[in-house]
Amino acid sequence: MPVIPELLTRAGGMPSLEALTERLLAGDTLLLDTPDNLVEVVDSLASYGVVLDAYSTNLMYQAEAQFLNPFPLFKYLDGDLSFAKIWRHLCHDRINYEYAEYCMKAMLWHGTGGLDRYLDSPDFDASCAQIIRRKLRRDPLLALLHPLFPAFLPELIRMAATTHALGQFWRVMSDLFLNLAEAEVQGRISGIAAVVEFISAGLQRAAPEAITYAVVIDGESHWVLPPEAGLTFLTDVAVPYVEAVFLRGMPFFGTVSFNAQAQQISPDQSQFTYGALFADPLPTMGAGIPPSLLMQDMGRHLPERLHQRYLRQGRGDGDGRVKLCASFQKAMFCVTNGAIAGTFPAPLSSGDPAAQAANHAHATGWAHRLAASRTDCLGWDGRADQCLP
Amino acid sequence: MLTPLLLIPFVGAALLLFSPAQTPPGRLRLGAILVLTLQLGWCLAVLARFDPTTTGMQLQESFSWVPEIGLDYRLGVDGLSLPLLLVNAALTLVSVICTRDISQRPRIYFALLLTISGAVNGAFLAGNLLLFFLFYELELIPLWLLISIWGGAQRSYAATKFLIFTAISGMLILGAFLGLALFTGTVDFSLTPVLTERLAMGQQLLLLGALLVGFGIKIPLVPFHSWLPDAHTQASTPVSVLLAGVLLKLGTYGLLRFCLGLFPEGWAVLAPWLALWAAVSVLYGSLAAIAQSDMKRMVSYSSVGHMGYILLAAAAATPVSLLGAEFQMVSHGLISALLFLLVGIVYRKTGTRNLDVLRGLLNPERGLPFTGCLMILGVMASAGLPGMAGFISEFLVFRGSLDRFPVATLACMVGSGLTAVYFLLLVNRAFFGRLAITRSLDPIQDARLDIQLAPVAPRETLPATALALAVLGLGLLPIGLGRISESTTTAMAWAGGAVESVERSQLFPQAQPVHNATSGTINPRITARGEG
Repeated sequence: MPVIPELLTRAGGMPSLEALTERLLAGDTLLLDTPDNLVEVVDSLASYGVVLDAYSTNLMYQAEAQFLNPFPLFKYLDGDLSFAKIWRHLCHDRINYEYAEYCMKAMLWHGTGGLDRYLDSPDFDASCAQIIRRKLRRDPLLALLHPLFPAFLPELIRMAATTHALGQFWRVMSDLFLNLAEAEVQGRISGIAAVVEFISAGLQRAAPEAITYAVVIDGESHWVLPPEAGLTFLTDVAVPYVEAVFLRGMPFFGTVSFNAQAQQISPDQSQFTYGALFADPLPTMGAGIPPSLLMQDMGRHLPERLHQRYLRQGRGDGDGRVKLCASFQKAMFCVTNGAIAGTFPAPLSSGDPAAQAANHAHATGWAHRLAASRTDCLGWDGRADQCLP
Repeated sequence: MLTPLLLIPFVGAALLLFSPAQTPPGRLRLGAILVLTLQLGWCLAVLARFDPTTTGMQLQESFSWVPEIGLDYRLGVDGLSLPLLLVNAALTLVSVICTRDISQRPRIYFALLLTISGAVNGAFLAGNLLLFFLFYELELIPLWLLISIWGGAQRSYAATKFLIFTAISGMLILGAFLGLALFTGTVDFSLTPVLTERLAMGQQLLLLGALLVGFGIKIPLVPFHSWLPDAHTQASTPVSVLLAGVLLKLGTYGLLRFCLGLFPEGWAVLAPWLALWAAVSVLYGSLAAIAQSDMKRMVSYSSVGHMGYILLAAAAATPVSLLGAEFQMVSHGLISALLFLLVGIVYRKTGTRNLDVLRGLLNPERGLPFTGCLMILGVMASAGLPGMAGFISEFLVFRGSLDRFPVATLACMVGSGLTAVYFLLLVNRAFFGRLAITRSLDPIQDARLDIQLAPVAPRETLPATALALAVLGLGLLPIGLGRISESTTTAMAWAGGAVESVERSQLFPQAQPVHNATSGTINPRITARGEG
């Protein structure tokens, strides 16, 4: 039996808790600042930006035009019911909007932040009641359904509200990532630190933007998320999104019950570690692996520069979506890095012991959460970009 | 019509052997492929000329070669040998196609493969016992060389073991053939059944015993099997394909042609014990396969188990069971060749066949997904799932044997179930889960293993794809093979049954003819027979 070549298998190094904390407090980027990492991050975010644009448009279309539609057969067509569009859809020449819904459901299920608090508030219940009353006047099926299952329609409205909020969030993020790519082309971004700073600044700029949502029933507009709710971009949608999609995530559909029975899944949802930062890129394109859908979409809009780089590595296009997933994960660490940097309680240069302690606590908290994530992709062991020819 | 089936491979082998020393291996390979394609084409021409309604030997050619010792050059083909000729032609072609990167003595390598193919043709076509023996022995040395020169690290051990076992097998077979001449006092080595009028039962059993052990080594049957897993493990993939797909069939062919065909009365006496032997072989082979952690050893032990079905069918010797034996020979040839090809691909890409190490090879982008799909199809066929070759052959064997040897047949059915067990273990360990080729240690570290395996080019899986299609084709349309072989196998069963009834009616006067439900005719088989 021959010895297995060393390069056939390798496990990347994982930085320790202390190393992560130190790096955050020093203001260094989580991802190693290398030219290769820069290309991977910027170009994967550029393709992500294109895909997020489509996701965002469709999510808002679903929430507005398919509101309480019991049979939303054409919800992925954005209102274009032409034969050509339907044919392309059936031939799978389309964006995988299912992934966007998956993220929305993760947000809905984990339910953290201001948006979720509002969705459980009496004000929201009152809005729901009013909307349902109006809707039932012209919809006999829902009129039959609602008395039988009174919690069903409010839950659908909660889902529609989360859908619309995620659409608004991704609208901003899509523009941010496309602008980042443009800035890099213009030479304004020259390293990972600049990427993190660009994202952090973009998030802070969009932070106060209001998140609102109204539906039109019988020509009359009804607020689902009114301006009075005071929901804003950063704290009420972006932070819950990061919590639900980047960190917690969900065990994959179909395996949850078996894994839960085997006591492999924490009964405490807040301890979940199935998010994008914890995802294993290797099974990408396997059945039931959610990143597959996103990578399929991103792979269709991959910038040529990154594509050419992938062609020179491993199996070329053959394992392109695994490589894209790994690059995307690096990009997500940059986004997380931006969020962490932007939320330090005090400037890192502060000499005040109390401020330093607060910053240390902040960095330690994040380091704890990231300790078991895929930090092996950050390149601290110096082998992140090593690939077989 | 049949001599070219010897001339084509032997002349081809000679041409390759004496080709210029600087001929590149790729050109030699191409030459071998051309020769084998011609051989396959000629086999198809023989098939076209073959009359499936005739039961005896067809397209016969003969002349008295060395009459003093009874050696006649007599060739013929019937429904038993024709499918095996086709399998031989197809699988030798496959084994040459899947030979890649042969840099060490390529001329000898390809010449040996062609020699084996020609020798196997000769053995299947021989209508004379000594001629069969000559060809049977002729394949021995080339195969020994193929294992000992182009084999793995322990090739010397495996090749020597193979040589010793097979040489003993040859000696026993030759001894039985010569004993036949000694006991009968003639040098008639034709394929005429030897009945009690010519030879006493004790002498028949002695000669039959020697043949059974001789062919039992070649098949191989437990306890003469131990050379096979070693030979397979050390042989290269093309040689394993040939060994499992073709060369083992020499043993089963000998079992049917010479043991059952020459000594039908002695066979009838031993049949219950042979059925028991078959059941033991099936169960041992299957249980041993479960215990293996080397993919190749697992597949080779599965061969040991699956060859037992043929012994069971031969022991029952009913029209249906003998047809099942023919199907099993063909389907096992195709399926085992397919499995060895796929194991070879896995080994080439990962550097290991260890099931404790291999995981998740079905990974769609970094693994070997198409190879994995073919492997799943192959193991399903081997486990006898409907729609594939394994099902129809096992069904015929079990259906044909159940009435005569219910206990042994049920035991073999358990063995068929065990096939699913060990092959699902194989698929589950090697192909499912997260991709890795290391032992599972720390789950956190395991989930961070980055695996870089070379991709499998479509041309690498082309032979396996063709075999997989053949496995499906035979499973979905078994009628073609059935038409070729049914007359011959039915005649063999009738010959055995008729003789047996005479013999039994003398031993047990109360025996009465019964209606044969499967053929719809009166079969002179006696009612007093049963298991043991």
